[in-house]
Amino acid sequence: MKKTQIVLLVLVAVAIAVITGMFSDFSTYETFASAAETPGKSYHVIGFLQKDKPMDANDPNRFIFYAKDKSGATTKVIFKGGKPMDIEKSEQIVMKGFIDNGEFHCTGIQMKCPSKYKKDQVVGDMG
Amino acid sequence: MPGKLGYFFIILSFIASLFSAFAYFRSANTEDSDLEGSRSWLKMARGSFIIHTVSVLGIFTALYYIISNHLFEYNYAYAHSSKALPMEYLLSCFWEGSEGSFMLWAFWNSMLGLVVMARGKKLESRAMSIIALVQVAIATTLLGLYFGDTINIGSSPFILLRDKMQAAPIFADPDYLSKYIQDGNGLNVSLQNYWMVIHPPVLFLGFASTLIPFAYCIAALWKGDYQLFVKPTLAWSLFSGGVLGLGIMMGGAWAYESLNFGGYWAWDPVENASLVPWLTLVAGLHTLLIYKATKRSIIFTFILLLLTHLLIWYSTFLTRTGILGDTSVHAFTGEGSSLTYHLLAIIGVLLLISIGLMWKRWKAMPRIKKEEEASSREFWMFIGSFVLLLSAIQISISTSIPVWSPLAKWITGKDVAPPVEPVQHYNSIQIWVVMVVALLSATILYFKFVKTSVKAAFRSLLVTFIISAAFTALVGITQKIEIGPYFLLLFASCYAIVANLYYAFAIQKARLKLIGAPIAHLGFGLMLLGILLSSYNKEVISWNTTGESIGLKGKDMKQTLKENRENIMMFKDVPVAMADYMATFKGDSTSETDPRLFYRVDYERIDTTTNEVVERFTLYPDLIKPKNSESFTANPASKHYLTRDIFTYINQASNSKLKDAYTKYTVHKGDSIFLTGGYMVFNGFIPNAQNEKYVPVQGDVSVAANLTIFNMKGKVKDIAPIYYIRDQREYSVEDTFAVMNMQTRFSKILPDEGAAEIEIRQETPDFIVLKAMVFPYINVLWLGVVVMVIGFLISMFYRNSQKEAKTRSAE
Repeated sequence: MKKTQIVLLVLVAVAIAVITGMFSDFSTYETFASAAETPGKSYHVIGFLQKDKPMDANDPNRFIFYAKDKSGATTKVIFKGGKPMDIEKSEQIVMKGFIDNGEFHCTGIQMKCPSKYKKDQVVGDMG
Repeated sequence: MPGKLGYFFIILSFIASLFSAFAYFRSANTEDSDLEGSRSWLKMARGSFIIHTVSVLGIFTALYYIISNHLFEYNYAYAHSSKALPMEYLLSCFWEGSEGSFMLWAFWNSMLGLVVMARGKKLESRAMSIIALVQVAIATTLLGLYFGDTINIGSSPFILLRDKMQAAPIFADPDYLSKYIQDGNGLNVSLQNYWMVIHPPVLFLGFASTLIPFAYCIAALWKGDYQLFVKPTLAWSLFSGGVLGLGIMMGGAWAYESLNFGGYWAWDPVENASLVPWLTLVAGLHTLLIYKATKRSIIFTFILLLLTHLLIWYSTFLTRTGILGDTSVHAFTGEGSSLTYHLLAIIGVLLLISIGLMWKRWKAMPRIKKEEEASSREFWMFIGSFVLLLSAIQISISTSIPVWSPLAKWITGKDVAPPVEPVQHYNSIQIWVVMVVALLSATILYFKFVKTSVKAAFRSLLVTFIISAAFTALVGITQKIEIGPYFLLLFASCYAIVANLYYAFAIQKARLKLIGAPIAHLGFGLMLLGILLSSYNKEVISWNTTGESIGLKGKDMKQTLKENRENIMMFKDVPVAMADYMATFKGDSTSETDPRLFYRVDYERIDTTTNEVVERFTLYPDLIKPKNSESFTANPASKHYLTRDIFTYINQASNSKLKDAYTKYTVHKGDSIFLTGGYMVFNGFIPNAQNEKYVPVQGDVSVAANLTIFNMKGKVKDIAPIYYIRDQREYSVEDTFAVMNMQTRFSKILPDEGAAEIEIRQETPDFIVLKAMVFPYINVLWLGVVVMVIGFLISMFYRNSQKEAKTRSAE
């Protein structure tokens, strides 16, 4: 076998190992209930802000609100960050985080805003 | 009228490119059998390509006329511009919409096509038939042909607003324009930035330029002629590598200056989608060099360069069709399923042509049996290119999650989402790729094609190795880079910088035509160093220390402090400490007409020994409230130093307009309402209530809401706003709590739910919530980008002039 082929074979093997390995990095879309099955593990949950429930934005580094997921269950969400501007106007939010003690600890929120010409907004763990 | 003219140009550009592609094809196919016939086809093809180019310019002019004259009866002007828009951003309106971007792409393709037409010589007919064909494809996206209600081919930028929204009743009024449509929606505020005027044209020039290597490769495969195409393909690939690289990084500079995720690169799908073709392009460029020098790697070269242009279309597919959906910050608005199928069809056709020709020529392509030396440049160059391809594959798989997740769901039942920590996900893999590439980019130049005298190379390498090790130690210690992989990366980038500098100046004696490659590699090394230093030591300086936050039930202060507290709350005129600075929020600009609200923050650096102010500056981070929108967008402000940037943006601000408004809450017994500085709990109803402000009259029905106010320390006060019905009308009596500047109303009772509607108004002092970060040595990154692009361009001119010399001597 040629040297090139050997090296390529090794590289391909490494690449396959890395790529299979990275699948465990991928998250899944869950509901609050299914995320609660493994507390502490992070998932994506698609939901809606409960606008009639209280929101706490006193702390610039923590924002507490209630969200309803697609199955209709409502959970208290603790976002480690300031209140995203105009979250009240969002149509839908995608929350990244984990369940702990029945509360959803959120590390990133992406909002879908109704205006067609406004881009979606992401807050949280970018960069 | 300008719309009709514009649409006429769209049709004309479509027909002209179609005919040009056909005529070039005929010319290419007859050039060996019927030279005269081929010549006349060629003339017609050239003529129609020129007509096509003129029509593309015509489309541009018509749309520019519509936008700059504010003709809001056209949807494009209405949707993307407004009267107040400054002149310099009128061009940005073009690329906000999908149609305008396709136009920009078509424009660059036709310009580059003219160059190929003028300089393509024997390859012109073949290469140009591909270029014209791609122009046909792009023109179809602008056609806007409708079949019934659901199917359409392309979408025209010249559609009238009334046709776009037929259902809206205002269009029944013949004077709808003067009555209802006074102004357009305006340009997305984050695009109102000078980078957005120049980043899209450069990026699209980069996209367009990948078509030329693609076309030349097809031209080579077409007749199985693997000689002529090498030099122009090499020069164009170098051009493309430089311009596309520049365009991508300009996007990074824009993100850094006008988005608030705090950085220049977030591994966002849109960023990845343009990076991946750049990686395959650079890989293909290097294998083409191998082929030129040794006749090896031709197949791999074709695969990479064909793939590059296909990936540009794939990236268009990812960013334009809305398929990225929830996963991207700046995916464009989805154009619906018609564009999805449209782009898939175009990719399919180009893929079929590529695979078909590769298939046809597979056996006859030149191959070299003899094994290459491990000490040869080509051996290591090939490995480097292959690593770049693997890197592109990894990024593509992760970025394409929304594309393949339906399949994964069908197989495994799991709804796959992108990684929770995308930056970490990509960084942890790609750090090894850039490390290998940086090491190779430095070492390779010391090796010669075919065989290297190991001794001589080793001597030079040893010198550079020692210098780089010393340099690494110096930077590593002063910058405190202590984590293993990052230290290795630091060495790799220092080595790339030192070895390429040494090669360019000590070995090649700075002879311009020989230093393109080491300069480009040097730029790459500098970029890596800049990325490493600015992100490894990125520091948040806005730690919240004002103690304005409140403890929550079940959470003690210790636990609260452990969490990320990167946003600082600043009250007006109250100085807060931020690293070496004292920062003071001084107030906002309040202009009724300006959609931007500037927040003035003064910074002072005080010498700790003399207690004197040694430095003073002011930053104005702002919030922009776009027209027809209630939302605000934050726009950062930075203080630039040579060795670092201080980057700040507003996260929240007290809204002076909201001060007088009551906020409404519906509460059940036991529910709490959060306030500024505390919270209140609804304990239930008190029937037959009365107090000093309300004395009941015969026939009244009155009830009070029993509310308890808590602050950080505990219970503060009970209040009881009253709701009563008199003569079948509802009234409410406010209760106030002066300490918290708060008025409370009990405005409604919901007997079915047993709930109360409470309205609260609370006056708060002016404040902002700010995040501030320091990016050290970020200028090294920008310098690296510039150096790399210069390197690409030097190489391009060198390869280009070399070609001229060769042809002249051959003639």
